[in-house]
This record gives sequence, structure tokens and C-alpha cells, in this order.
Amino acid sequence: MKAFKFVRPRTCEEASKAVQAESNAILKSGGIDLLDRMKEHVDDPDTVVGLVDAEGLEAIRIEDDGAINIGAKVTLQQLADSEAVQRFLPTLAEAAGLAASPQIRNRATIAGNLAQHTRCGYYRRASFPCVQRGASECPVKQDGAVQDTAGVFDDECVSAHPSSIAPVLGSLEAQIKLRINEVSMFALFDNLWIRRDGKPASHAQLPEGAVIEAIHIPARSEKQYVGFAEIRQKAAFDWALVTCAVRYALDPDGKIGDASVWFGSIAPAPHQSVPAMRALLGQECTDKTIQAAAEASMKNAKPVPGAAYKVKLAKVALKRALEHARGRS
Amino acid sequence: MSDDSPRDDKPSGLTRRALFKGAGAAAAAGAVFRSIEAGAKESDTVPANVQGPGTVPVELDVNGAKKKLEIEPRQTLLEVLRLPLDLTGAKPVCDRGTCGACTVWLDEKPVYACTVLGVEAAGRKVTTVEGLGTPEAMSSIQKTFVAEDALQCGFCTPGMVMSAAWAVKKHGKDLTEDQARAACAGNLCRCGTYPHVLKAALACARKGS
Ligand SMILES: Cc1cc2nc3c(=O)[nH]c(=O)nc-3n(C[C@H](O)[C@H](O)[C@H](O)COP(=O)(O)OP(=O)(O)OC[C@H]3O[C@@H](n4cnc5c(N)ncnc54)[C@H](O)[C@@H]3O)c2cc1C
Ligand code: FES
Ligand code: FES
Repeated sequence: MKAFKFVRPRTCEEASKAVQAESNAILKSGGIDLLDRMKEHVDDPDTVVGLVDAEGLEAIRIEDDGAINIGAKVTLQQLADSEAVQRFLPTLAEAAGLAASPQIRNRATIAGNLAQHTRCGYYRRASFPCVQRGASECPVKQDGAVQDTAGVFDDECVSAHPSSIAPVLGSLEAQIKLRINEVSMFALFDNLWIRRDGKPASHAQLPEGAVIEAIHIPARSEKQYVGFAEIRQKAAFDWALVTCAVRYALDPDGKIGDASVWFGSIAPAPHQSVPAMRALLGQECTDKTIQAAAEASMKNAKPVPGAAYKVKLAKVALKRALEHARGRS
Repeated sequence: MSDDSPRDDKPSGLTRRALFKGAGAAAAAGAVFRSIEAGAKESDTVPANVQGPGTVPVELDVNGAKKKLEIEPRQTLLEVLRLPLDLTGAKPVCDRGTCGACTVWLDEKPVYACTVLGVEAAGRKVTTVEGLGTPEAMSSIQKTFVAEDALQCGFCTPGMVMSAAWAVKKHGKDLTEDQARAACAGNLCRCGTYPHVLKAALACARKGS
């Protein structure tokens, strides 16, 4: 790693000001992703603004209306162990408890997990070409090897967003509380991944100087059916090949009236599948509906040959997630 | 344009109502970022604590002993343990949080020392394999690793011991094989000694210390 100045703000507001005031500065939370990028010189910041001393970011709070507020520094292990999360947001506790390894879960924070960068081998080696660094074409498209870190859609960058927590937060319609200087604001989950230049984002796109302060999960009055499934090469200690999180509610007639389907690890950003959601709406959650949703979810897939296997995995993950949701009462 | 991309016009959760209105993409309209509180807090203007980029004095609490050191912010806890402190139990293998050979406890919880900055460990309790026991006075888990033949080349062993010891500490006498397996899931052993490691963890737990 290049030598850097380590700035330790005591609040989110200070952190926001510090990343703007210092030259070439970057935020650090648990550091699992960031130190890796710095060791590879993919990022060479002059200043690292560490949240280690920043207060008020470590709690999981249930608000008066039943919404749940998760501080930016809450670790994946805290999420997995929290009784409130297990009870009210079971898919989040499940996904967090399955991620990575105990040693990583003890350090990795929810904000850093969401904002982690893609695992694409081209992106993560500074000397390799990558469209995110200005190359004219994504080298993964020319590479004949099996691509565990690639997406399945024909994006300009065919990387995949590696977080297994992000699809769950998407399915729960999480809002991201951001802090810029003295001001707190909410961003819709979807909007975190929009690049203004229209290129696919390979990681969260936050406004200048923004610090994630908390993740806010709104309360819902109707009964929610939630499911999560992931497919991994190894049982633990690796990123998943595909993850899928679903949430739906039933109308009084027993038909699905509200649905949300999100995938991880198949597109440069966490991927919301509108075709799958359409296939679910107005239907009873039968095996046939589930099969139709699985097919619909991948109807626009155009994978590079090395990632074609992920299309099948994604359908299986969606089926398992929906079965998981249906079976949970 | 497929409805799988781009993301700008996509609904955040689709409802049947929205769909029936023919407005599949209408939900998440409005400003991207909605301001919720604007406080003119001019109060604490104490500058944030700044360390480096050169060396800075820190005091580390390692295996119960306080150590005063001069380190750079870019030095990982693993580097600090091995070089100035000469505690070479934790091993640098991948240096990327992907092998487990550098496992230590930070405030009693297992972490990869290669993923923690030394300056961030100051003021917190660090325990390395040397802190569990010495060759002359081994801890129960270390003795059980020897008795159960839970190592071959030994390179993963210090990290493996820290994870196994934590499993025993957390679950006590009732430690199950699944729990031991989950606790050691973040440690790779190239020699494949896993079954013996699990046996050692369970045997140590049954002994009750
Ligand atoms: C072997 C291995 C296996 C893994 N398996 C999984 C897995 O199964 N599932 C999974 O989801 N992940 C997995 N991970 C990834 C890991 O979970 C992430 O690297 C980690 O969660 C990142 O969190 P952090 O707190 O360490 O973030 P950091 O490394 O500190 O930060 C990551 C990024 O987020 C930005 N950032 C951090 N905090 C904030 C904030 N408050 N506001 C704005 N930006 C911020 C930083 O600038 C940086 O760019 C794995 C990692 C390893 C090494
Ligand atoms: S050296 Fe730290 S995990 Fe491999
Ligand atoms: S004993 Fe050789 S690596 Fe584990």
C-alpha cells in the first residue's frame, strides 16, 4: 500500500467534510474491500477517512412505526445475530450469516458491503484493461475462460456486483440514509447504482462527499412472504455465484398483489428483475407461477460464453427463493 | 431496449395496482435524493484526529501486555505483530483476507490481522496464538491439536487454533461438529487436516476448558 494520511472523524458530518476537504480521499469502514483494492493499487488514496471512531453508526433500532434502522457500521455478524433482524427481516439475517467467513463477518459493515466494488479480475488489477478505467471494450468479452465474476446481461461492462446482502436490501425496498455535510437525505435503493454518464456502474454511485449513515427498512402492514437463496461453489468463504432475494404479499383473493425480485452477482449492479415481478403479479404462488417467473427473469440474458452457466443458476436461485418464501409462514 | 436495463426508469417493487394502471415503471419518480433534515449545526468544530502518513506513536494491548510503538497508518496489524513485535504465530499467506493463516482475536473475536490497520487496533485487546499458551505451557486447545494430530505442515495451524479456540470458548462443552465447522470455515488448510481439526475442537470442548 502507498503511504496515506489516516483521518479519524468522530461523526458522519465530520467524515463527509473530511472526504471533501482532503485531496484524493476515500472512506474506509471495515476495510475488507478497500484495503484489498489499495494493496493492488486499484485505489491509491493520499488520505483515508476511517469511520473507526465515528459515533452513532453501530446500532440496529426499531422505530415507532416498525421501520428498522441499521447503522452504517453494523457488521454482518451483528445482522446475523440480532434478534430483531432474525424476527422482522429474516432474509437479511440469513444472507448476512451465510456471507464470507466468521473473521470477515466480524469486520465487514453493512455500508461497506453495499459499496464494495466488483470482484472482476480485470477491474481488480490496476495493470489490466477495464472499461471502468477507460478501456474501449470490456476484456471479459474476449476472454474464453469460465467467468464466475461476470454478469449475464449484455452490458458495456459485464462485471457482477458481488454483495449477497444487496439483493435482500433491494427486495425489502431499503432506503439509504446519506449524510452530506450538515444534511441527511434518503436515497432510494435503486438510485445508488445510476451513473450519470449512462454507463453501467460497477459499484455504488454516491453523490460527492456522501457518507452512508444508515440503512432504513420501511415497515409494512400486510404479511410479507420473504425468501433468499444463494448458489456457491464452496459452502463458505467465497463470494456467491448467484444470489436471489424475493418478497411478496397476497391480496385478499390469495393472489400476489405486490412483488419484488432481486438478484446479486449477475449484473454490474444489484439487479431487479421486472419481468419476474410481472410474472408473479396477479397469480397464486404455485409451482407453475414460480417456473414462469424463473423463465421470465432470464429472458433478456445474453451472457458471454464463460458465464452462460449462471443463467441456469439464476433460475434455480429464483425458484428456491420463491419456494423458501412460500414455505415460510 | 430491454426492461432489464438501464435502471433509471425502473419501479422499486412492483405492485399489481401500478401494473394494472399500465404504469409498470412509474413508482420511483421524484428527486433522486430527498432531503430530510437540514440542521445548521455549527457546534463541534474540533478537527478530526489525523495520523500519518509518516509514523505515529500508538499503544497496543497484545496478549495482555501494553506495547508502545511507532507505526505508519498503512501497516496492517499483521505486519505490526510480526515485525516490531516479533510475534510470528500469525502467518502472512494471502494478505487479502482469503486464507485465515493470520487469524487473531480483536476484542475477543476472530479477525484476519491482514485486513485490520495497526493504528485501528490501538486501544483494543489483541490476542494471538502466543497469547493462548507457549510451547512450555500450552493451552488446552493447543495440547488437543497435538494429541489429535490436527496439523501436518503446520502453516495454517496458528490461525486454525484461534478459530477452534473461539468455537470452544463460545459454545463450551456442548460444541457441535456443525458449530466447529462453521467457526473454522474461514481457515484454509492446504494439507487437508480438517477432520482432525474438528476432532480436536470437539475433544477440547468436552474436556471443558
Ligand atoms: C473471502 C471473502 C469472501 C466474501 N464473501 C462475501 C459474500 O459471500 N457476500 C458478500 O456480500 N460479501 C462477501 N465478501 C465481501 C465483504 O463482505 C465486503 O468486502 C465487506 O462487506 C465490505 O465492507 P467493509 O466494511 O469492510 O467496507 P470497506 O472495505 O471499508 O469499504 C468498501 C467500500 O465502501 C465504501 N464505504 C465504506 N463505508 C462507507 C460509508 N459509510 N458510506 C459510503 N461509502 C462507504 C468505501 O469507500 C469502499 O469503497 C467477501 C470478502 C472476502 C474477502
Ligand atoms: S494472510 Fe490474512 S487471511 Fe490470508
Ligand atoms: S497443516 Fe499444512 S496447511 Fe494446514
